[in-house]
Amino acid sequence: MSRTFKDKLTSNDFLITAEVSPPKGTDLADMLSDAELTRGWVDALNVTDNQKAIMRMSPLAVSKALLDGGHEVIMQLTCRDRNRLALQSDLLGAYSMGIRNLCIMTGDHTTKGDHPKARPVYDLDSVQLLSIIKNMHNGYDIAGNPIENPPQFVLGAVTNTDPSKKAQMMKLRKKVKTGIEFMQTQAVYDISMFESFMESIGDIEVPIIAGVIPLRSANMARFMNGNIPGINVPDEIIERMEAAEKPKEEGMAICAEAIKELQKLCRGIHLMPIGKHNNTPTILEMADIRKKQ
Amino acid sequence: MIISSAKPFEEILEILKDEDDIFVVGCNACAAKIHVGGEPEVLEMCQRLEDAGKHVVGWVIPSAACSVASYDSLVEKNPAIKDAKTILVMACGSGVSIVAGVVDVPVYPSNDTVSLGGRTQGEVVPELCAMCGECKIYYFGSVCPKSLCPKHLLNGPCGGSVNGKCEIDSEKDCAWELICNRLEKIGRLDLLDKIWTVDEITE
Repeated sequence: MSRTFKDKLTSNDFLITAEVSPPKGTDLADMLSDAELTRGWVDALNVTDNQKAIMRMSPLAVSKALLDGGHEVIMQLTCRDRNRLALQSDLLGAYSMGIRNLCIMTGDHTTKGDHPKARPVYDLDSVQLLSIIKNMHNGYDIAGNPIENPPQFVLGAVTNTDPSKKAQMMKLRKKVKTGIEFMQTQAVYDISMFESFMESIGDIEVPIIAGVIPLRSANMARFMNGNIPGINVPDEIIERMEAAEKPKEEGMAICAEAIKELQKLCRGIHLMPIGKHNNTPTILEMADIRKKQ
Repeated sequence: MIISSAKPFEEILEILKDEDDIFVVGCNACAAKIHVGGEPEVLEMCQRLEDAGKHVVGWVIPSAACSVASYDSLVEKNPAIKDAKTILVMACGSGVSIVAGVVDVPVYPSNDTVSLGGRTQGEVVPELCAMCGECKIYYFGSVCPKSLCPKHLLNGPCGGSVNGKCEIDSEKDCAWELICNRLEKIGRLDLLDKIWTVDEITE
């Protein structure tokens, strides 16, 4: 039997996860062919939950389709769209459908997405949601009522990686205290800042999986610096992108170099390309961290 | 105090388009302090309504619109209210409701009620309190995340803040930035470590 994501978390493997987006529509074919590009290259696929507060197919349905296709799945679940009844009910459904890995997050505010007038929920925050899932594992819902055949998920969370942000770092430690088994980060470009981040949490044993996003242009880097929370693309990388004749190739090279560096610092990387995974195998080959399995 | 903002006059005219013989009720509490229901604003409103062709039968400014005791107490202040076919209340939503509870004619608001806030050093400061009914503000350096954070997060910030500003409004400081600064100032950063469980919030 092949090793699960949980088996790999508890091993010494360097882990590779990647993000896939549910479709804005009912046809799963494009998403499945995108996931197919990663087959044999990644240990698990994160399925996003109405990312950026833009309405898409439920991560529950997409996760099930990926499981049926033989992929290992990490279902993302935000606190934005569901109250505690809906969260718990979806979690029971997820487990019954075979979903075993979860990545829990607060979720971008509704005003940032394509339904800005939607009422945001935030009945629970990410720390509370992680804690209550632990209680569900022990056989109880939030109200203290027993759950038959309780689920047993592998729980993960997310974090930004600027160690100077006191409140962010404090929250990271609260998430760790809930008993999470992995943590995925926002995209890392500033390797020295990430090194300081890892030093600042040197006492934490939870596997850290560093996010990477291949750059496509210098403009994309500049845009992310001003607009995407938790991302800091250093000037020298922007200059490299500026000087490059083929910016996309340069972005892939920069990404592969980052992956090599991150391999020395943490337990894995999480690939979040803008668009499809066409270049994912090439980047992983360039980084020389894995052969197709 | 309750923070309200004046509706555009065009909107007031629109909601009053089928009404006439208007009596204006101001409010000498919050609305007066933030200049959306005190005497100058009430007098201006009466004038503008007259200029727009409406008949204003009179006005009154109770000490607080939300504490009007009875219809008779309004009559005592200005008997012209007996001729009113419509009442325009220049107060918060509570004031509108209380006044509506003591009269038998339609009542309309001239203001939009925004939040529970304050006014200091000449500035109106909105969203200071969410009126949750279980004040724990002292854990947060007396900066309330239930009110100031759009996600009402008690266990720390979301990852959405850019340069210390709120995810949903780049003009607004992130509530958790304010909380951290304040706790650092009073030497109580240790309070950040408290984990707020589901049981501790009833929202």
